[in-house]
Amino acid sequence: MNKELEKLLFNPVRLKILSFLFTVESASFKKLIEVSEATKGNISVQIKKLEDAGLIKVRKKFEGNYPLTLCKITSKGKTSFELFFISLKSYETNKTEK
Amino acid sequence: MNKEDQIKAINDIINETRTKLKPLSFNLIFWGIFINIMSIIHYSFPSFIQQTYYSAGIYWIFLPMIGMIYMTRWNIKKYKEIGYSTTLGRAIKIIWGVFGFGWLMITAFSLYKGINPVPDILFLLGLVIVMTGMIIKFKPLTIGGMVIFIFIFNLNQNPDQNFLIVNMIGITLGLLIPGILLNRMKTDE
Repeated sequence: MNKELEKLLFNPVRLKILSFLFTVESASFKKLIEVSEATKGNISVQIKKLEDAGLIKVRKKFEGNYPLTLCKITSKGKTSFELFFISLKSYETNKTEK
Repeated sequence: MNKEDQIKAINDIINETRTKLKPLSFNLIFWGIFINIMSIIHYSFPSFIQQTYYSAGIYWIFLPMIGMIYMTRWNIKKYKEIGYSTTLGRAIKIIWGVFGFGWLMITAFSLYKGINPVPDILFLLGLVIVMTGMIIKFKPLTIGGMVIFIFIFNLNQNPDQNFLIVNMIGITLGLLIPGILLNRMKTDE
């Protein structure tokens, strides 16, 4: 598995964000705070890192007078997450066999 | 975070994500009640609703359009509260959006042609309900849609029936009752 990806998803907040976005169509910033149990500041940093790696896409818009940030996983993000999950699962299977 | 923790975190998140079905049930109940009230008013005051050639058509286009605007706003508000949308939720939204458009088109076309829109609308509604029921794997909804097909067949066999009564029964069995049953189901709490 890609070492960079492994390093990126070693962080629990980033892993939770990507896992959640993998299962949904899109999610709001507020929902991601709830899912990852991280602070606003921390989650902003982690989202930026995932976006810079091309794993997620962030769209900012206004709903009435309030800003709304929506995050969506990219196809690269989906493929990377699948590879990451397969490698984790194979580790688990090997461990059980031993 | 070791590998076991990572697997656990991923599994927890995936298991937590569910398509929320409560908003869909509210949509079904709303339209079930809305169409029934409209049908009752039309049935009770036919001379008022059908006072001109176009008045009934306008009644059946204008009021549902207000209902659609209200429900669209309600659904957007709900989406913001929930904070995420699933692929399944998106598919359901598209299906019902197409139905809303089809409904308006059928009503407008029937008005233009001078034919009764009820059988065509019920047919389209039956299709959409069966599709939704099968997508969310909720049998009462699928059965409700099939019941509507029986009503359409019955309408074709006996065209002299009162279409408004057939409409009310069809909507109650196909939309309202499955909507209430879906609302009572505790799948996404």
